[in-house]
Amino acid sequence: MPIKSIGLPLLLTVALLATACSGGNSDRTANSSPKFLQYYRQGEQLYIQHCSNCHQRDGSGLRQIYPPLDTSDYMRNNRDEVICLIRFGVEAPLVVNGIEFVQPMPGIPSLTDLEIAQIVTYIYNTWSHDEGIIEVKDVSEVLRACDDREVVGNKRKR
Amino acid sequence: MTSVDTRLQHRFFSYIAALIFLVVAACSTSERDEKLPIFGHRMVEGSDTIYHTIADFQFVDQDSNIVTQDTFRDKIYVADFFFTSCRTICPIMKTQMLRVYDSIKSDPDVLLLSHTIDPEYDTVGLLHDYANRLGVESNKWHFVTGNQEDIFNIAQTSYFATALADDTEPDGFIHSGAFLLVDKDRRIRGKYDGTKDDDVDRLLRDIATLKREYAN
Repeated sequence: MPIKSIGLPLLLTVALLATACSGGNSDRTANSSPKFLQYYRQGEQLYIQHCSNCHQRDGSGLRQIYPPLDTSDYMRNNRDEVICLIRFGVEAPLVVNGIEFVQPMPGIPSLTDLEIAQIVTYIYNTWSHDEGIIEVKDVSEVLRACDDREVVGNKRKR
Repeated sequence: MTSVDTRLQHRFFSYIAALIFLVVAACSTSERDEKLPIFGHRMVEGSDTIYHTIADFQFVDQDSNIVTQDTFRDKIYVADFFFTSCRTICPIMKTQMLRVYDSIKSDPDVLLLSHTIDPEYDTVGLLHDYANRLGVESNKWHFVTGNQEDIFNIAQTSYFATALADDTEPDGFIHSGAFLLVDKDRRIRGKYDGTKDDDVDRLLRDIATLKREYAN
């Protein structure tokens, strides 16, 4: 039966193509609360707007110039610090996955506590991360502890 | 039963044949002897047409080597303007230029030239570190610095690229994210948005087209 022998590989090819095209982390947000989803979606937009130029849309960073977020021991071990450096920036070199990054990161003081909570919820639940919602009340508490810092601006202010 | 099978089989093979024909046809049209446009003003003197060309220049690269038009003699090259502390479009441009680098790194005919428009901050040492961190070879991808006026000037008059100091901008400069394709005769043959994937795809195709032009 030649037709059957053509039919099966064809079906397999179509099935393969279909699975290849389905999104990577959509399953991550499948059974989540509406609040998580709202944080996550807003955070994604803010990430694209404020962070993705350097860290890239896919979180891979840029070689040894901008650190990656997709897999990052620094993020895993320093969540409070990540929250603070989004608002205040960071001047000192950071070691991420054993590589020292020296480019200063400017802070974004215009972001509200809620917006920072949305960004960290996004980056901590995408790529290799799966930490669940990071609520604004927790973010505000962390931010209060670092609010004596000076904002790192662009290099001309140094 | 057998005749139905045969007919279906026949239809299947004609379908495959048509598909192969289409693919072959699509590929061969892109292999035509098409020529890229030549950018800029031109003058006709007698029977000669004189095209706009990149002016002579002299800058210093990340290895402190002097880089001039002679560095690019008999080479096709891609030029752009950026600065290392730029956080707006430059990181995306560098991600895209890395794609170009990866595709031409073993091609002796093609080089890359990135000019900093912030030479005060982007010293030779800093550019050296930057290129190292990108993991690229300096004889393939020159990062150059020099007199700021010279760089602004060549950007605007030779490459038709925007590069200006502007204190109202977040990083202090206005500049375009353009990649310029320059041929072996110092003429601009293509202009691409270095922040857009598909435009850089077009650049990669145009480099191949330009190489064929010189191969003929």
